[in-house]
Amino acid sequence: MLSVAKNVLTIYRVSIYRLVTDMAKQKLEPEKLLPLTSSVFHILLALSDGDLHGYGIMQEVTEHSGGQIRLGPGTLYGAIKRLLGGGLIVETDQRPDPELDDERRRYYRLTDFGRQVLKAEVQRISKLVSVAQQKRLLPKRT
Amino acid sequence: MLSKRLYQLMLLAYPRDFRLEYGSEITQVFHDCHREIQSGGLATALQFWLRIILDVVRTAGVERWETLGKGREIMKRTDVTGLAICVAIIAGAFFLLGYGRKHEVASILLFGHALDAIVTAGVVGNLIVLLLVKMKHLAQFRTALWSLLIVNGALLIIGTLIGNAVDPSFNFARLFVGYLVSFLFWLTIHWIWSRTNTATQSVA
Repeated sequence: MLSVAKNVLTIYRVSIYRLVTDMAKQKLEPEKLLPLTSSVFHILLALSDGDLHGYGIMQEVTEHSGGQIRLGPGTLYGAIKRLLGGGLIVETDQRPDPELDDERRRYYRLTDFGRQVLKAEVQRISKLVSVAQQKRLLPKRT
Repeated sequence: MLSKRLYQLMLLAYPRDFRLEYGSEITQVFHDCHREIQSGGLATALQFWLRIILDVVRTAGVERWETLGKGREIMKRTDVTGLAICVAIIAGAFFLLGYGRKHEVASILLFGHALDAIVTAGVVGNLIVLLLVKMKHLAQFRTALWSLLIVNGALLIIGTLIGNAVDPSFNFARLFVGYLVSFLFWLTIHWIWSRTNTATQSVA
């Protein structure tokens, strides 16, 4: 009986917390967080394909940056801490492949707000690329 | 595994809350990264460790700084005022000492040892007190008491050793009085400062 009451209380707390944080996030405009730091941008980009754990994010970042960016564990988790705090990512209990996975690992997921911020940053970079193309620093895409 | 233990030791550079929240995950990621480079040679291992050390140094500083300002102001108004007063006292004593020595003013040089001690112990001691109080959240007056006692004592010993070695007319008693005056002077300043802080907190 006590455990049921505790569970109900936890669900109530979590839902209220989510409601309040969602309301707070709705007021925040993605553009206000721009420009993103290099590590934050690459982490969000890595998570845009699906949920990943810390080491997975690290590998993905190294891969999509062609080995140019190698996040250290401290840089990675410092950024993750800030992204969680800002509501750009959340920790998720769902495992992509529970059979093969190590249960101790925590997985992270991009939130809708995080995706909006990432899109806004990509648009900002895209505008810069257009300017560079106009100045003939880059060949124009056909 | 030695490398993992070494890295866990390095993690002590991060704030406690950060270690509790992410310590095991960071260690796991480090372990994964380390496994990747194990087949490489010495150069790869050195490059890896250099990257890890730089990462810890850079990010631990950021995390510590964030923890310092978390949920409260880093420096309260009374702290800024106190710090400004300390800097003004040190600068004043330094200027007075320089003026006295340059123009050989006997009345200033009479207090030469005390002024010297106020400047040196003031810079070193107050810096230690500030760092300990702000980073470790220790009690201000008690921290000041022990820090100033140790700093003044250490400087007295160093001064005595150097004085004995280079100056045949070295007078230990004057040096001792100088550091005693410095200790009591700075302790009084910290006592007033801590009383002001307590009064401000109780009003708030």
